[in-house]
Amino acid sequence: MQIGNELSAFLRSPVMIIVGSVDDHGRPDIARAVGARVAADRATVDLVISAWQWPDTLANLRATGRTAVTFSRPSDYVSYQLKGRASVLEPDAEAIQLSHRYMSDISGVLRGLGVEDVHVAAWLTHREPVIARVEVEAIFVQTPGPKAGQPLAARAP
Amino acid sequence: MTKLADLQACFEGVIPSIVATAAADGTPNISYLSQVVRVDDDHVGLSHQFFSKTAANIRENPHAAVLLVDARSGEQYRLSVTFVESRAGGEIFEHVRSHIEAASAQTGMAGIFRLRGIDVYRVNEISRIGSAAAPSVSETAPLPARLAGVARVVQAVATTHAVDTIIDAALDGLRAELGYQQILLLTLDRARAVLTTLASRGYERTGVGSEVPMGEGLIGLAAAEARALRVSDLSRVQRFAAAVRDTSHDENRTRTIALPGIPEALSQIAVPLIAQGQILGVLFAESRARFTFTAEDESALVVVAGQIGAALTLAETQAEDPQEAPQPPGGSREAKGAPFQVIHHVFDDSVFIDNEYLIKGVSGRLLVFFLEAYRREGRRDFTNRELRLVKALRLPDIKDNLETRLLLLRRRLEERRAPVRLVPGGRGRVALQVLGEPSIEHVHG
Repeated sequence: MQIGNELSAFLRSPVMIIVGSVDDHGRPDIARAVGARVAADRATVDLVISAWQWPDTLANLRATGRTAVTFSRPSDYVSYQLKGRASVLEPDAEAIQLSHRYMSDISGVLRGLGVEDVHVAAWLTHREPVIARVEVEAIFVQTPGPKAGQPLAARAP
Repeated sequence: MTKLADLQACFEGVIPSIVATAAADGTPNISYLSQVVRVDDDHVGLSHQFFSKTAANIRENPHAAVLLVDARSGEQYRLSVTFVESRAGGEIFEHVRSHIEAASAQTGMAGIFRLRGIDVYRVNEISRIGSAAAPSVSETAPLPARLAGVARVVQAVATTHAVDTIIDAALDGLRAELGYQQILLLTLDRARAVLTTLASRGYERTGVGSEVPMGEGLIGLAAAEARALRVSDLSRVQRFAAAVRDTSHDENRTRTIALPGIPEALSQIAVPLIAQGQILGVLFAESRARFTFTAEDESALVVVAGQIGAALTLAETQAEDPQEAPQPPGGSREAKGAPFQVIHHVFDDSVFIDNEYLIKGVSGRLLVFFLEAYRREGRRDFTNRELRLVKALRLPDIKDNLETRLLLLRRRLEERRAPVRLVPGGRGRVALQVLGEPSIEHVHG
């Protein structure tokens, strides 16, 4: 499933990234990611996640691979949700740099909206970073309002 | 082990909570939530407004995870939960509905965030998420210290007996003991369905006599719904609107007094004064900081408001039984100052003295009645009991808060440095001080 230019730019911009996963027994979990990049083939998205902060989510992704990832812009709540299969990889240098840049950018955005740095520091860390590589199967609009939940596009069956 | 009761600051709706569910085929879904509430020690309620995928998933697979953020420290908690039931009515539903309505009203989005239901989940496990931030120190006093502060406010109110001293004890106590900086106390005029400011602390103008219609804004909603309401993070839009309102107000043109307010307020709380099942008014506080008022502040204000309500009711009742006049009412006129002109607009009982707007409603009628009795008979001493019997005053019934109306009039006259003043003449009595000879003109239509 292809990610268009506009969406690709949105996913890489300073937006809040929430990762949903599920274990072998169908029990869901939630984590935050600290940076995203879109692969050249436009079919996969890499997320940087702290294995120290979110060990259960990474265990779920290793076990079932099922994931839903929400990208939400704090200033106006414009949101998209990607669904797909994830595999967990060791980070490369570029991913670690990416997470540093993301944390600095999103902290600035949130500070501009009046969120205190101490709060942001409690939510976001790249301690023990790993990559969750998501093969995107479906994309949904999730901005609150009448279009929420509608597919932006989905892979043909 | 962390208990739900320890997570009070997570249930404030300032930082969005998030829920993860999974479909029968194992596909997860993420939704933001506007409200998560604690139902009891083992259950939480999640607001259900927009997203239907969560609702569909929990009917296939009842397991879910909720990520909560402590609005004070930023700490995160994950709840492992199991769906129990959906509720579209009842106490919890109404509680969340009025909070969402209050927040929407304050941000100019009334009616948009309609609550469809509350989904109740059993909490199986609570985990604190690791934080890279240094542990923050809580700025508020620990609970026992604040409880002792509440006790001192209640005690101060209980040891006084007149309407004015009850209100002063309460507002001064809330500032000294709980550190609230901006406070309003409003009294309900049932006949006109408006709340009128009787006293305030911490504003440039006292705003005595300013009015809020029932059901309007946080104050009006708290009275209309008989429910304490809090807003922890007001929008820029609302603040801008408040700033515009504050700078364009002319009492003499609008015949209204502007409600005091800090345009940059980010947190507000409004608690109804209730006694014997009747709404008497509203106690309101606001702050420039985000998240100033917690559920604990709400509890504290409910206790203080209850004491104020009971004390005011008792004071009103006692005032029906007047003390003997401390001295025989003076029959002679005392006017020594310049004459002044009183204009009474009959349609809303608004009163202007020397072309300056003073007051309207019951308090306006009272003032005109006093001044006419003074002009006719030179009288300066009145009892509440006789005021009740004057048909022209149209005091609705014995439950109408005459004492608070008289106090409102007294304070407004003092504030405007009017050439006529009211002085307490002992329990159930009021005396007039007239500094010049009044002329009275009634304007009809």
